[in-house]
Amino acid sequence: MVGRCRMPSCGNGKLKTRFPRGPLRQVILLAMVQGWAAWVSGCHTYTQRLEVARRQFYNGSVDTALAEIAKAERGYDSSRDVVNLEKSIVLLSAGRTHEAEQLLRETRDRFDVLEEKSMLKDGLSLLTDDTHRDYAGEDYERVLVRVFLALANLMQGGADAEAYSLQIMDKQQQIIDAAATAQGENPKALYQQVAVGAYLRGVLREQTHRDYDDAARAYARVVSWQPTFRSGRLDLQRAETGHHSERGNGVVYLFALVGRGPLKTEVAEVPSSQAMLIADRIFSALGKQTVPPTLAPIKVPKVVPRQNNVQRIGVSVNGARIAATEPITDVTRMAVSQTEAMHDHVLGMAVARRTLKKGVVYGAKELAGIEKGSLIGLGIDLAGVAYEATEHADTRSWSLLPDTIQVVRLELPTGEHLLELSPLDYHSRACGPAVRQPVTVHDGRNTYVLANFPAERLTGKVQVAMP
Amino acid sequence: MRKLIQRVMIAAALTASLMTVDACKNGNQFARVIQPGDKEMIGSHAAGQETYRPLVEEAVCKLLDRHPANGEPSTSAQGELLPAPRQQVCFVGVTNKSSEELGDIKDSIYHAIDSKLHESGSFAPISRQYVDAGLRDLRLRPDDLFMPAHMRNFVGVMERNGQPIEYLLFATVTSLTTRENKDYQRDYQLVLELVDIRDGKADKQVAMISKAYHQSRASRWSATHWPFSAK
Repeated sequence: MVGRCRMPSCGNGKLKTRFPRGPLRQVILLAMVQGWAAWVSGCHTYTQRLEVARRQFYNGSVDTALAEIAKAERGYDSSRDVVNLEKSIVLLSAGRTHEAEQLLRETRDRFDVLEEKSMLKDGLSLLTDDTHRDYAGEDYERVLVRVFLALANLMQGGADAEAYSLQIMDKQQQIIDAAATAQGENPKALYQQVAVGAYLRGVLREQTHRDYDDAARAYARVVSWQPTFRSGRLDLQRAETGHHSERGNGVVYLFALVGRGPLKTEVAEVPSSQAMLIADRIFSALGKQTVPPTLAPIKVPKVVPRQNNVQRIGVSVNGARIAATEPITDVTRMAVSQTEAMHDHVLGMAVARRTLKKGVVYGAKELAGIEKGSLIGLGIDLAGVAYEATEHADTRSWSLLPDTIQVVRLELPTGEHLLELSPLDYHSRACGPAVRQPVTVHDGRNTYVLANFPAERLTGKVQVAMP
Repeated sequence: MRKLIQRVMIAAALTASLMTVDACKNGNQFARVIQPGDKEMIGSHAAGQETYRPLVEEAVCKLLDRHPANGEPSTSAQGELLPAPRQQVCFVGVTNKSSEELGDIKDSIYHAIDSKLHESGSFAPISRQYVDAGLRDLRLRPDDLFMPAHMRNFVGVMERNGQPIEYLLFATVTSLTTRENKDYQRDYQLVLELVDIRDGKADKQVAMISKAYHQSRASRWSATHWPFSAK
């Protein structure tokens, strides 16, 4: 059972180090491997940790949701940025737009930094799992952080809203361009573009009563990127040949965050795990040492949509029902399609990580001179299985995002109006309590309204701004 | 044992070097102030300052050459020398008809032209805020001003607002793209159109810059250095 040293310097083939000899050495090694396995194991996934906060938010309790987010954040520094994103949505809904904008700006800058690959952290994540690295955001989140920056700024006067709207379009183009390979392939070429960015630009340029050419370009993009947004064609037509509004009228834009956005969950990649099990059994039979069998499945994150009853927001003005919001950006669809496009890459990384872990166990056994088929070797293989089983898929994601971002444009006569917002279900029937909000419309100008309906009731409050 | 120590040392060195690389590339961004005469950046995918700045310079210079300051400087009752009267011009805006998104460049072009007109002794552009207010008040698009009735209404509103005008100025950016396999050439034009509201006559000045976009350094080098490339 005593391992033999393979170093030529050891004349008699026995290990001559100060490291304890014999079975004691192997027991210590086993304990170290198991200890490390215990250290790298996570307790709860991100999605589970934020469960209570999400529930509170959907119930409309923004203060409790903030407290729960703060609780869930403790001890998880690598998730700080994504937690800030969750907070920003709560703050935005609560009308604390300045704080929300600040958090979003910080996160945008951090994501830009983290987007650059870190060799050290990439290396460490190969030995543990992706949950141990700082979260750099999914592609759709990096674009949406700019969308919410624009909305948060718009609700405070909109001094920077136009700059943010340009950043939205720039960012998505950068993401796509950066993925192009030398062979001319681009897995991100078919990414769905975020039409709300172009729409915001169109809205802001049209309001100048001068830059209709810019507005027309922006609306043309909206029509092309989101053909299901029927109002886009009217907007384009107006920007090409019409004008902002009739004399004596102003325009109200209602932006509604509707439904609960997607969640990331952990799924087992069974076919890949089975293939790996066969491969490592063959390797164990032929190699000098055995490797831990792939009993723990390879886990990868998967973005899953959530059931939403609320589909649109009906709008009544001064008691008369006149319109309903239309989805301009389908967040869930975008998130699902983007993660599907990158699935092979994520799976490839997970397989590479598992292979490396087996290599670590193999190397440790070789270094310690453990005989193949020995009891200690079996113990180390068991520790290796435990080590592999501790691996978690990275389920961190911006989980308080809406299912869709919707908008409706209302041209109204100058003066005071009472808006009534009602959440509508699939059959356009009211499915929750309506909310009333007075607005003032100014001649030839825009008034912006923002409301968040993650479920059948409003969360936070309706906000109104007139830049 | 010596080999083991060596391996440990190599591993430590590798880790340290990785950490050093990581620390050097900590994601910070760096900046510099570009002084006059310093090398400036050139847009690799679209036109930037290297294109629009000279376009504005050339087009405005041509316009001012054709419209020098009228009259002689006068003297006030107190004997103070007064500048020659300047022509009131309403700079309506910049229209982008090129194939590129102008983004934040558009307002920059507007203000560059506006500043140059202000600096000239020929024109006195009225504030953009008045122009915007006039267009908003009448719900007119900039291109509506070419219709005589709309132009008269607009001039009337401006006069009522205490901003009488003699000229309307329109700026338009256009582009023309020529492709040669993966490379392409784009000719950028800045057109300044000055319309005399009294008789409707227009004067047009055009500045043009051509820019070549190459897909590789080799392609760019061969376009400028290869002896057989077309000159």
